[in-house]
Amino acid sequence: MNIGIGGAGGKLASLASNGECTIVNVSELELSKIEANSKLLAVTHSARGQLRGSGKNPAIGKEAFVSIGEELKNLIKGNIVFSSTGGGTGNGIVSELLDKISQKEEPVILEERTLFAFILPCLNRESSEYVENTIEFLGSPVSSAIDSGNTGNIALFSNKLKFEGRIAEANYNKMIVDSFNSFLSIPVKGEMYKLLDGHIDFEDFDLFRSKPYFNHFTQFSWDTEKPFESQLTSNFNGLLLPPERAIEVMFLIELPDESLTPKFYDVLDYFANDDIAPVYGVVHNPELSKPQITVSMLYSRKPRELVEDFKSVSDKYTRNRIKKSLEQHVVLQNHKLDKMNEARRMVEESGSNSGDVLGFLKRIGKL
Amino acid sequence: MNELFEKQISNLKEVHFHVLYWAALAEGKGKDYNITNIFDDLKFIGITRTKQSAVSFVESLAALCFIGINSNSNRKNIYITKHGAKALESLIAKGSFQIKKSMFLEVTK
Repeated sequence: MNIGIGGAGGKLASLASNGECTIVNVSELELSKIEANSKLLAVTHSARGQLRGSGKNPAIGKEAFVSIGEELKNLIKGNIVFSSTGGGTGNGIVSELLDKISQKEEPVILEERTLFAFILPCLNRESSEYVENTIEFLGSPVSSAIDSGNTGNIALFSNKLKFEGRIAEANYNKMIVDSFNSFLSIPVKGEMYKLLDGHIDFEDFDLFRSKPYFNHFTQFSWDTEKPFESQLTSNFNGLLLPPERAIEVMFLIELPDESLTPKFYDVLDYFANDDIAPVYGVVHNPELSKPQITVSMLYSRKPRELVEDFKSVSDKYTRNRIKKSLEQHVVLQNHKLDKMNEARRMVEESGSNSGDVLGFLKRIGKL
Repeated sequence: MNELFEKQISNLKEVHFHVLYWAALAEGKGKDYNITNIFDDLKFIGITRTKQSAVSFVESLAALCFIGINSNSNRKNIYITKHGAKALESLIAKGSFQIKKSMFLEVTK
C-alpha cells in the first residue's frame, strides 16, 4: 500500500494507486483535495497549519507527528512512503518517522522495511526555504536512517527535469508515477510473461527493495547490437538523481523475439566487469516491437555527500543573489525610528485573531 | 446560576477582557505569563500606570474564578480557567471590546 505524507506526497501516492492509499496531512482542507480511501489528520496546534498546511515550516509537521506517530509507524511496515523533502508537513513528519526508525533497538526485519520515495526541489528554481529544509532533511534524519540499516530502498526524485522541461505538475507527477510503476512491475511481468532465462519472483523483488540503499531505476528500449554501457548511461532516469557506482543490480529484459535471448549475456558481462552479479529475468513480451530493459541499481552514497552537493550549489546561488543586490547600488536613506511609537502603530494596524485563541481553548477542553 | 454568570460577565471591563485574552494566548503559545507581564502590557496599551492596579485587576478575576494563579518562586503565573474561557468566548462573541496585542506575547521577540 502507498502512503503519501504532505501535499506532494499525498498527490503521488493517490496517483500511483488510483486512490487506494493512505494520505497524511495537518490540514483537513488539504486532505479533502486528494482522493484516497484512508485519510489521517495529524493534529497541530497552529491554526494556520490546520487551515493551510505547514507551508515551508517542518516544525509544524514535527509537532503534528505526535498525534499519529504510533499509527503511522505500524502503517508503513513493508509499504511505500511518498513525500517531498522541501515542504513542511512531509519533511517534518517523515523526519520524525525516520528518527524513530533509526532509534529502534532491534533491527527492522526485511519484510517490514519501508521503501521511501522522496521528491527533492530544483536548486535554482525553487525557494531557498525548500532547499534549506532538504539540506537539513538529508543531513540528519535520512543519514541516520541509512546508517541504522532499518529502511528499505530510498528513491531520490528531483524536480529538476520539471523546471528544465517546463512540465506541468500533474504531468510531471504522472511521469514519476509511471517511472516508479515500471520498477514495481518487474516481478509482475516475471509472472505474467513466458520466462526465457533467469527469474525474478516476488520474494526476490521484496528482498531487493528492502535493502537500505539508494535506488536508481530506469527503463529503455534496448538495442541488442550496440554496447550496453553507452545505452545505460545515456538512458539514466532523468526524474531521479544520477546514480553512483552500483552495489547491487536487478534487471528485467522483455524480448519480442525469443531468438534474441542469448543477448542478455552482454548485460550480465557488463555488470560482471564491475564485480556485480545481478538478479535478473528475461521474458517474452509479444506486445513489444523492440527489446526493452528495466534496470534497478542500488548505490550507497553517503547522504553527507549529497548534502555537500546541495549546499555547494545552494551557496553558489546565494552568493550570486548577494552579488546582484550589491550591484544595484541602492542608497539607503536614514530613518529615525521611535521604537515605542512604531510598536504601537503596528499593534493598532493589525488586530489579533480571536479565532485562534478560542480554537486553542476548545482543543485543550476549556471550552 | 446562569443569571449570575451573565451578570459577572457584563460587569467585566476592557482591562479584564484583555487579561483573560492574553492569559489564553500565552497558554496557546506555551509561555508563562505573570503579573509583571500583565502590568507591562496594560501600561503599553495605556490602561494603567501602576502595578497595584494591575494586581487588583488580576485579583478580581481570580476571585471570580476566571483565572488561576500559580506561584512559581516569586513569580505569579496566571492561567485561564474553564469559567474564564466561557467568559472570554462570550465577550468575543458580543464584540464588546477591540482586541489589542500583548507587547510581551506578540510584539517583542
